[in-house]
Amino acid sequence: MKNPIHLFSLTFFFFVGCITLEKEKNIESNSKNSILIADKQFQEKTELQKSMQRGKNIYSGFCMQCHLPDGKGVPGNFPPLAGSDWLTEKRSESIYVVKYGQTGEIIVNGVKYNNVMAPLGLSDDEVADVMNYIMNSWENTQNQMVTVEEVKAVKK
Amino acid sequence: MKYFLSYVVAISFFTSCAQQLKLNDIPIKEEVRNYTIKSFVSNINIPWGMTWLPDGSMLITEKSGDLIHFINDEKINITTTFDDLYVRGQGGLLDIELHPNYPENGWIYISYASNEGEGEGGNTKLVRAKLIENNLTQVETLYKATPNTTSGVHFGSRIVFDKEGYVYLTIGDRGNHEENPQNLQKDGGKVYRFHEDGRIPDDNPFTNEAGAKTSIFSYGHRNLQGMAIHPTSGKIWTHEHGPKGGDEINILKKGANYGWPEITYGLNYNGTIITEETERDGMENPIYYWFPSIAPSGMAFVTGDKFPEWKGNLLVGSLKFQYLELVQLNGNNVISRQKIATDIGRLRNVKIGPDGYIYIAVEGKGIERITPN
Repeated sequence: MKNPIHLFSLTFFFFVGCITLEKEKNIESNSKNSILIADKQFQEKTELQKSMQRGKNIYSGFCMQCHLPDGKGVPGNFPPLAGSDWLTEKRSESIYVVKYGQTGEIIVNGVKYNNVMAPLGLSDDEVADVMNYIMNSWENTQNQMVTVEEVKAVKK
Repeated sequence: MKYFLSYVVAISFFTSCAQQLKLNDIPIKEEVRNYTIKSFVSNINIPWGMTWLPDGSMLITEKSGDLIHFINDEKINITTTFDDLYVRGQGGLLDIELHPNYPENGWIYISYASNEGEGEGGNTKLVRAKLIENNLTQVETLYKATPNTTSGVHFGSRIVFDKEGYVYLTIGDRGNHEENPQNLQKDGGKVYRFHEDGRIPDDNPFTNEAGAKTSIFSYGHRNLQGMAIHPTSGKIWTHEHGPKGGDEINILKKGANYGWPEITYGLNYNGTIITEETERDGMENPIYYWFPSIAPSGMAFVTGDKFPEWKGNLLVGSLKFQYLELVQLNGNNVISRQKIATDIGRLRNVKIGPDGYIYIAVEGKGIERITPN
């Protein structure tokens, strides 16, 4: 009496096992796909991180003296980069400023600024790097990385 | 042990506090405007250096490379041949001075960031040249610092002549304070002294030191953008940008070490400590330091009779707080501080004109003139 039940349960387990195995296979291939996706994301992130790391060095050599390490600037004198509406809403204008400098009045987070930022003399890839740094530092985030091509396209 | 530990904690607490506060500082007084400030030369982006020709007209350098001759209320662009001009970060066309015997020899001295020589990047260079019919010609290189680097910071640079006819040049540490300011074999973080033609004076302090740059007059500096000769003592006064809180006024002594970065009153920009040391034997202490930093640029002693109350005192521009600071002196001691031209803009340079009035170079504006009422 016991044996057929055993056999049955064994068969049952076998099937279940097979189904599970099949499922696992599916999961495995799914997760392979997701690893691929994650890999790609990881690579993109690394590209951004690399760019930001280079940008951080540019920032400390060219920007920090006025905009300060925390990106908050000096109200009324040097506009903030951290939490700056200008930086988020005026992407190509921001690239322009880093590339060619800035004169004349601008309004950042409701505060008027009328100072001169001299042309920094940065190369296009340096502009892209420092843009990626300031757009992703402090609590700033961006959806799209700044590329050298994008910087090249911003003309005087 | 317990007591010892709390003693250590207390000591380190007080020491770190001492770095962040300046006790018994002289507060700056608000402006009392009994003078007039008016635009003199308008529309110059970054006016860096300025001087006057014997006819009273002005020569002004603009950082991006323009040399402007302001004559008969007109700006004339002088043609230069600085093909090696390196405009990057704080670098570009910098200071300008006339030889003390300009009417006889016509020499004009200019400092600028240059990419001449080996290696990517640039470093500070001193040249002299002559102005002939709106052209700067007969350019002679007197000194070019090495190596070229792509660092955008701390090029210096001011030029002055002392009463004996030596020419002095300042070059900042080029952002490499680990290697440059304390090493006599390297350029950067130094004040240099030359004969008028660029030769090294025999009595320069390090002429007998093997491997040393013999043009060095003093070292251990960070970034000097102000230098002036004291009108009575003839001594060379400088100021320099410190790190965060640690801008200094120094009186130069031949061969002296001004301590950067071994001793400083300043902190890193992120607030971390560079060194606990503010003094050490064999290193000079400033006669005054600013805390917080004002970001000083340009320096002049008040001479002449147009501002009798200010005569003999020091004027220093503030890039950060956008005013001119009158530093009142008793001998070599700072006794009070006064704001002038509040909120004028980033103040890059200050000089007393041949007419005795005060001229200030303001970024985004140009040259403004202060006259008594």
